[in-house]
Amino acid sequence: MTVDLTINGAQGRIEILAPAPDCRFRIGDAAEQQAQVERPEPGVYSILIDGRSYEAHVEETPRGLVVTVRGFHFEIDVRDPRRRGRRASARGREGVETLAALMPGKVVRVLVAPGDAVEAGQGIVVVEAMKMQNEMKAARGGRVASVAVQEGATVTAGEVLATIE
Amino acid sequence: MRNLALLQFSCMVRKVLIANRGEIAVRVMRTLREMGIGAVAVYSDADRTSLHVRMADEAAHIGPAPSSESYLRVDRILDAARRHGVDAIHPGYGFLSENADFAAACGAAGIVFIGPSADSIRSMGSKTAARRIAVTAGVPVVPGTERGVSLEEAHAFGRENGYPILLKAVGGGGGKGMRAVEREAELDSAFRNAASEAERAFGNSQIYIERLITRPRHIEIQVLGDRHGNMVHLGERECSLQRRHQKVIEECPSPLIASHPEMRRAMGEAAIAAARSAGYYNAGTVEFLVDADRRFYFLEMNTRLQVEHPVTELVTGLDLVRLQIEIAGGARLPFRQEDISWQGSAIECRIYAEDPYNNFMPSPGKLTRLTRPLGPGVRLDGCIYDGWTVPVDYDPLLAKLAVWAATREDAIARTQRALGEFDVGGIRTNIEFFRQIVDDEEVRAGRLHTSLIEEFFTRHRQPAPPEELTAVAALAAALHTGANGNGNGAGQRSSSDLSPWLSAGRSDLLR
Repeated sequence: MTVDLTINGAQGRIEILAPAPDCRFRIGDAAEQQAQVERPEPGVYSILIDGRSYEAHVEETPRGLVVTVRGFHFEIDVRDPRRRGRRASARGREGVETLAALMPGKVVRVLVAPGDAVEAGQGIVVVEAMKMQNEMKAARGGRVASVAVQEGATVTAGEVLATIE
Repeated sequence: MRNLALLQFSCMVRKVLIANRGEIAVRVMRTLREMGIGAVAVYSDADRTSLHVRMADEAAHIGPAPSSESYLRVDRILDAARRHGVDAIHPGYGFLSENADFAAACGAAGIVFIGPSADSIRSMGSKTAARRIAVTAGVPVVPGTERGVSLEEAHAFGRENGYPILLKAVGGGGGKGMRAVEREAELDSAFRNAASEAERAFGNSQIYIERLITRPRHIEIQVLGDRHGNMVHLGERECSLQRRHQKVIEECPSPLIASHPEMRRAMGEAAIAAARSAGYYNAGTVEFLVDADRRFYFLEMNTRLQVEHPVTELVTGLDLVRLQIEIAGGARLPFRQEDISWQGSAIECRIYAEDPYNNFMPSPGKLTRLTRPLGPGVRLDGCIYDGWTVPVDYDPLLAKLAVWAATREDAIARTQRALGEFDVGGIRTNIEFFRQIVDDEEVRAGRLHTSLIEEFFTRHRQPAPPEELTAVAALAAALHTGANGNGNGAGQRSSSDLSPWLSAGRSDLLR
């Protein structure tokens, strides 16, 4: 299995040559490595390499995987067409940007209407969660193609709020 | 010392309703259980499965999720209290805890309010009244005008007291109509802007003035008084580490006071004087700003148990909730000032459901995994459990991680260790943020002030992760993706960069 990944903005590739638990893998064109891998809890990987013990914690978030190892934080985008298609925050059709809720909450204000011209960073929808109001902003400029929510609506994380083309 | 105390209750407390939820309701319940007192929880629609309901002896539903329809409804809470036949109500912090009408309504219903009198709450609840009380008690306040001033009077204040000064709206708060003025040349335009902003925001263009204290420390004093006129202070908590004016880390001793121990007595006596002149009893906290010359100024008094009370408990060995209940029941303080001593060093971190890598966006949702930090010197107050769904309706405090150790240096190391063990899955938390801030040079050196965290974000560069850890993260991500059936099939190769990851990455990620 070969997986192309972006880690904290840097691109790379990992090849899994033998599956867990007695895993062999290669990163880029570096030498092959061996790892003994167990998953003691969901999302937790206990990994032994050359007698050293690591624990990686993997979280699935609306913006990709977040992996923590020994206090270091990695944001990892797994570039797989099927996976990307399911992520509401990713680009969908060519030239269309979907704006998704980053957390569950309640829509308190819709700041734009379909057809409005918007700039990158402009607030589109205000979602309230945990007594805080958060403006969901356009990732790029364009025209509002659709608004999928109304004021007062409850949304879940990853739910599409609006599209911009 | 405790045994002396024995606390002839003038009215016996057998059952207490906790008019709160989450972390603090659980905290209060633990003491009630140790005292053999029945605990009654209240809950909204959003909290049926919350830990405070599960732990309680009895529980009463008080309405829908919005707190205005449940935890802030005096009528529903008193109704629940009557139905369950409680003797007393503990308000916790937040919600109705500093609502004088609620305290008065409890009294009128024949139920003991575990806290100060309604009059004390009322007078300390008003900024101007509290300031007058402090001045009357001889406690220093930030030099300022007591009322709105004209531009000419503002110039006179600046000449007399020096710059920088702070213009503030008489009619409101929240930063509206507020301007910092560094020198006299800026005063005219700042004054006009502040006044017109205040007029728009509050319909009142009046501006008053305070001297601006730059990079102050926030140090507060815990006081405790009984209803027989006895009052002591239990030392300080330094809460200078704040983000958006919210405390995130608190500690005792304050590093400043540790090197200037005479300040504890001076501030403690000032706090007692202020509290006494408001006729205060039960637990309360007097907050001070401390300037670079170690002068302290009364800021306000919180007439309730504070979120950060565990650090005081850890260094004094006292249970503040227990003392609150005993005092409310009519008991005398079981000790005098000279009986109070402080051992070691305690630090508390407020663990929130928020994403430090995404502008601290709230992160409610279901906890899919939980490992609590344990071991020597670790205390965790919280309401979390594996499988709990954090509601979107309330503030995002999940838990308070407090540690105790013999010295501040050891307490910092212990905090780091405990944060490393603390694993919450399914939602994002600020645990990783704490690991970095606690490791900061300025924090370690104890050079704290209220802008430290803001400055930390601008000067801090996250160290690049070692290559070996990047490889481990990549392996875990690949296996996780594969395990969930989303992996690429073998042989699907792209022509993209084949080099191993650069560890450079996004060094400014934590913002």
